[in-house]
Amino acid sequence: MATINYRLIDVDALDPESAFPAELLTPPCDPIPTSEIQSLATHCRQLLQRGDQEAALVAALENVPYGGDEQGKELHLGTVLEILSSIKAVEMSPLLGRLYASPSGTELLDVLTKYLYKGMARHNNSASSTSTPGVSSHATGVSSVSGAREYGVAPGRGDGGGMSVLLSWHEKVVEIAGTGAIVRVMTDRRTV
Amino acid sequence: MSEVHLLFHQPIADHSFSADRSLLAVSRDTKTVTSVDIAPNTRRIVTCSQDRNALVWEPSPTGWKPTLVLLRINRAATHVRWSPDETKFAVGSGARVIAVCYFEGENDWWVSKHIKKPLRSTVFSLAWHPNSVLLAAGSADAHARVFSSFIKGVDQRPEPTVWGERIPFNTVCGEYINSSGGWVHSVAFSPSGNALAFAAHDSSVTVVYPSAPEQPPHAVLSVTTQMLPFVTLCWTREDQLVAAGHDCHPVVFEGNMGGWRLAYSVDDPRKSAGSGASQESSALNMFRQMDLKGKSSADDTNLKTIHQNSITILRPYEGRAGNVTKFSSSGVDGRVVVFSVKS
Repeated sequence: MATINYRLIDVDALDPESAFPAELLTPPCDPIPTSEIQSLATHCRQLLQRGDQEAALVAALENVPYGGDEQGKELHLGTVLEILSSIKAVEMSPLLGRLYASPSGTELLDVLTKYLYKGMARHNNSASSTSTPGVSSHATGVSSVSGAREYGVAPGRGDGGGMSVLLSWHEKVVEIAGTGAIVRVMTDRRTV
Repeated sequence: MSEVHLLFHQPIADHSFSADRSLLAVSRDTKTVTSVDIAPNTRRIVTCSQDRNALVWEPSPTGWKPTLVLLRINRAATHVRWSPDETKFAVGSGARVIAVCYFEGENDWWVSKHIKKPLRSTVFSLAWHPNSVLLAAGSADAHARVFSSFIKGVDQRPEPTVWGERIPFNTVCGEYINSSGGWVHSVAFSPSGNALAFAAHDSSVTVVYPSAPEQPPHAVLSVTTQMLPFVTLCWTREDQLVAAGHDCHPVVFEGNMGGWRLAYSVDDPRKSAGSGASQESSALNMFRQMDLKGKSSADDTNLKTIHQNSITILRPYEGRAGNVTKFSSSGVDGRVVVFSVKS
């Protein structure tokens, strides 16, 4: 008797016309060198030191390195998380409201949501102590690219500290941008 | 204000009213019929199904007489629509083709011709231009496209439009990508045919105003919303369209070449009368709820909208093209509802 399970044959693999490369769906993004992301990080940190968190956040969210490599994207994630944790809880909603009211408001909050989820994913990774290449984990569970920076999370509070910052940002973003923001992050092929 | 018809406790894949609204055809998902359309003048009904076939049903003295149409596709048929002049119909499918079907009197059967390129994935929805030659398609490859379905011997050569002048079969007259790469669930031409709207899985509605053949469009206006994605669209006026989907209530968009915006919700759950009534619960009711379900709040398994699940199809119901006053909707909850456009 035949032992082949015909239902499991991938018939599309036999049809050359059915090839469906994922790049077809991804809108083209220009490659961005890591040095450029590094200088943006420096710029954002200067704004932070001047106490202008809002400008730092807008600068970081407006210049999304969609075309960067993994290292560059990790670096930018670090920058965004650093800015987020430097903003006080009471300031979150008013700041998000101002961002949302600006002309490219939806876009900015969508990008922010992408970073929130990416941040959560990474927290998860470091908590389960799977070492991500290029990312070192501290005893506090807070990880950073260079290993020298932390995200303003009080040391010793454990992983929950950084995660709770992300969760409260997430709550505030969804209050303002709605479930649409979450759907867009799940849909979007331009990843951060 | 709204007419609600709960037909069955099963999803309705598509619905269509006849011109005098005496006849309502619905397709249910119990078997595999995915779409249905009634031609307003000839009263012929076309259905398509996951069994890869389409049937044309013609009224006869002994009842409806079905004619099988060979679509020559190897995946499910997803969507079917009569052309406005009712001489052709188009079937979208999972086989990355659109079958354009027309009647061949000589052989007394329906013949299909395929639009293939450059479709890369399943076609979810189709919409006809008023001239019955241009056909828009939205598909899972994140594109909304406008094709020519001109068939020699069936169609008169159409007047030139903003989409194109000389357009043989399968000419691509417009191709628009959803910027975040989401599936395009629904496409629709404006009443004049000079604008195209499409809804994608990133909760957005995009309206395209083409300028001239082979030229970049005047404007591509995207409205992103706070809601869950829309899966169906229905133009009511040249400057107004209704969208509905996973948020279970229709919303109205208004705008023109200068910009579009979400204007208001029809059957808005935040101000529905039903919500007040359901929240008003007596102490007895509260304890009963706690006893039965272990919670004190009133029954929260009912949505505050009329539709209790995703809306999958919107259609104009009353008023002529360009001034639609009422529209009908059907969805996964088995209801067909007639709404008026005014909130």
